[in-house]
Amino acid sequence: MGVILEVKNLTKKYSGLTAVNDMSFEVHRGEFTGLIGPNGAGKTTLFNLISGMEKPNSGVVRFDGYNITGMKPHKIVNLGIARTFQLVRSFKFMTLLDNISVSCLSPRGKKLAKEYGIDESASSILSAVGLVDKARIPPIILPHGDLRKLQIGKALGTNPKLLLLDEPFSGLTHEEQKGITDLIIKLHADGVSVFMTGHVLRELMNLVPRAIAMHQGKYITEGPPEEVARNKIVLEAYLGKGAEDLA
Amino acid sequence: MEKLNEKISGFPAYFKDWIKTFRGKVTVLCLIGLILLPLANPNPYIMGIFNTFMIYAIFAVSWDFLAGYVGQVSFGHAIFLGVSGYATAYIIKYFAWPWWSALLLGAVIAVLFGIIVGVPALRLKGPYLALGTLAMSLILYQLFLMGSLGIMWKNAFGTDLFGTDGLGQVPPISTNVDIQYYAILIIMCLSIAFLTHLVKSNIGTIFRAIRDDETGTSASGINTTKYKILAFLISGFFAGIAGGLYALRFSGVNPGVFQPLYSFYAIIMVAIGGIASLSGAALGAFIFVFLGEILRLLGDIPQLEVLGGFAEPIFIFSILLILIIRFAEHGLLGTLLEKLQSLWDIVLGR
Repeated sequence: MGVILEVKNLTKKYSGLTAVNDMSFEVHRGEFTGLIGPNGAGKTTLFNLISGMEKPNSGVVRFDGYNITGMKPHKIVNLGIARTFQLVRSFKFMTLLDNISVSCLSPRGKKLAKEYGIDESASSILSAVGLVDKARIPPIILPHGDLRKLQIGKALGTNPKLLLLDEPFSGLTHEEQKGITDLIIKLHADGVSVFMTGHVLRELMNLVPRAIAMHQGKYITEGPPEEVARNKIVLEAYLGKGAEDLA
Repeated sequence: MEKLNEKISGFPAYFKDWIKTFRGKVTVLCLIGLILLPLANPNPYIMGIFNTFMIYAIFAVSWDFLAGYVGQVSFGHAIFLGVSGYATAYIIKYFAWPWWSALLLGAVIAVLFGIIVGVPALRLKGPYLALGTLAMSLILYQLFLMGSLGIMWKNAFGTDLFGTDGLGQVPPISTNVDIQYYAILIIMCLSIAFLTHLVKSNIGTIFRAIRDDETGTSASGINTTKYKILAFLISGFFAGIAGGLYALRFSGVNPGVFQPLYSFYAIIMVAIGGIASLSGAALGAFIFVFLGEILRLLGDIPQLEVLGGFAEPIFIFSILLILIIRFAEHGLLGTLLEKLQSLWDIVLGR
């Protein structure tokens, strides 16, 4: 197994607010890990710090033997961390095939795509995420569920070792959620380490064997999700004080 | 090598597909028209307007490439026009290089200058980049206007450079009007063909991704800064080619070429034709130059003097720009082609 991602004493302060406060934890190679916490817990900021979109005030992020703290986002991607965004991003006026091709054209993606060519690799990724019949249309006319799939496809184009999924289920219908779940399980089975956030506990419960809980920027606890869900602070964070009695 | 062969053998097929489209046919027709024009023996005045149109087309296309395909809006594109215009004129005048080598070196100097301007400017995003480049073109305009700087330069090097007079008496490409025309036509076609091929290539895919979502592009593992600088330099090279040709066409340059007005011209031409369409930009240049010339002629008619400034091209074009933004934001080329095609269908009885 071994540790693939190590976060140590990571802190990010905005004026008057500490979004991530002295977080330390590890993600293991090949593991499927969840990051839970209510809205505003600092999950997205933590992802931004790991993926280089924002720079931490202090602390260290280590990935696969490299110190990636404060590195530029594209360099981190090329070391093998790909991410998706809570608010979906896409190249609006380009075809889905081109959307994926951009990732395949990154230095790391190119190595994977070398054998079959960019177009061929991009369409095989499109079929993996179930969008191959829509290869020639732009994302502006796609339903939300397809955009979430596209995001995962774009991440896959860079051939990641570790996939950071930020709220991959948010805004999806039950049916769409199932499709994404199956996709993520399949990717994990193929050997990609997955680290995903969710603010709805139920979604993550059945999916991940281990979850890390954070609240107000701080590390709370970690363990099997059913245990984490029984934690006093976690319950309070989700349901307010006195929630223990309800549970 | 294999790849190259594949590309070469793939070229006619690609070309055949393109020429089958209505757009391709119209483009080829326009091109044939341009090639045959000198055979009709038009007077040098008309030829001169066509030369101006083709030079402006290169300039407009270079701006459209940067703004329409890479999403980097520059309001200071006149910088490239001016730097290369001055460099080309200077090299021909004082070093007596042949025009084509001076033109190339002039464009390369514009590109080097683009590195100085572009590297700090591209840290700016959106409207800030536009304002930053605008300010830089104004600084250059002011510098080249300075007579005192001109005297200092003259004392140091014995040549003209700064000052309101600019650089004059640059010999044309050729005294033969036809050769001059064809030289500019070939350069325009090569420029547009190169940029068209570029935006359709893999690099073009990366450029368009940066245009649509820069953060998303870096999340796809692309070094966006590197590609933005590359795009800036490519655009600067072609704007520089336009600048050098401008100096050759008008037998010199003056500080006026650094005015924001010239950057604005590029924007108007592209808006007329339709942003993110290189052939549209060329069409925009055509309309801009010819309409401008007609308006200028109208302004010379004494009976119309009462109209005064209303016939001023920039007045009309600014109104036109507002109308296009409001009613035809995708420019005129697409609409025009559609109308032409339906007309054609009627003619053929389809």
